[in-house]
Amino acid sequence: MNDNPIISWKIAGVALGLLLTLATYLVSPLGVSTQFVVTDAIVLHKVAPALAESNTYLAKYGIEQDWGVGYGWMLILGMIVGGGVTALIFRDKQPAGDKGSMPAMWTAKFGPSEGKRYAASFFGGLLLLFGARLAGGCTSGHMISGISQLAVSSMIFGVVTFAVAILVAKFIYNNQAKIS
Amino acid sequence: MMTLIIGFLIGCVFGAILFLGGASSYRKILGTLLLKDMTIIKLMMTAIGVGTLGIYLLDQGGLAHMSIKPAYVWGIVAGGAIFGTGWAISGYCPGTCLVGTAEGKFDAIATLIGGLVGALIFAWAFPMVDALLLQNASFGKITIQGLLGINGLYLAVPFSLAMLFAAFFLLKDRYE
Repeated sequence: MNDNPIISWKIAGVALGLLLTLATYLVSPLGVSTQFVVTDAIVLHKVAPALAESNTYLAKYGIEQDWGVGYGWMLILGMIVGGGVTALIFRDKQPAGDKGSMPAMWTAKFGPSEGKRYAASFFGGLLLLFGARLAGGCTSGHMISGISQLAVSSMIFGVVTFAVAILVAKFIYNNQAKIS
Repeated sequence: MMTLIIGFLIGCVFGAILFLGGASSYRKILGTLLLKDMTIIKLMMTAIGVGTLGIYLLDQGGLAHMSIKPAYVWGIVAGGAIFGTGWAISGYCPGTCLVGTAEGKFDAIATLIGGLVGALIFAWAFPMVDALLLQNASFGKITIQGLLGINGLYLAVPFSLAMLFAAFFLLKDRYE
């Protein structure tokens, strides 16, 4: 059984590098995490405008004239559509170990509780976006786009993020993970 | 309007690459963080290698719309550490959780909702964080070649080659 991703890292990496170059030529580099704030701002401006206006950080995003839907927000919408359509077309080719909401190595360590996995994912997501907004970018904006522009900030982010993520992953799995 | 359509199309290709390359897989991400399955780090280094060369070649013709993020050291170190912890726990990053959500993975949806909450918490923590971490040791939008005082391409070429060399020849999967 073929256990590798549908396309090799070489093809995916070259394609992503070319896409980044094209994006930088046409509009601006790739970025994702800012759009979480924009989405929050759009929703909050709708349901509780006074609250949204009162927040200095949110007030900058999702202003009423354009609802914050710009290049960046269309990009993340595209990621969901493009990822979803591709997943639908190539579902049969996706390795079994990459499917589903309960990764085998997680259940081997933490048991079959879905609640536990989703709670951990929620908490992880919370840290991801708090950290990304504090640092000013995420894997796309800092690591891929930022390092490719040789930005000092992004080099620092890349080194710190990988170092801490490796330590936390080792701590979580005590070096006992079975990657199959 | 054209910019919105371009953004959407670039996003579509981005999402497709992440799915097809296995980046929306918990197993693949944790495999890289446990230094056992190097697929994802090799993918990233290849993308950076090609991207650096592409962007700085564009830049020679004045065609690159660059966006350098400011180097406020403490905020980036603290943010990177918090981000790295969340990355190892959820197995997703902000971009791949979007793709996982589109695949119908419930853990990715939980990460996405957690992310929206995390961004909201940051919005309210911003005034305090700003004074504490963003104003000190802030060096602005600096680049490595700017510090060295050389043309970006002279650094981009060797850096790009080093990234590609590491991805293609140095990094090896390590299974027990």
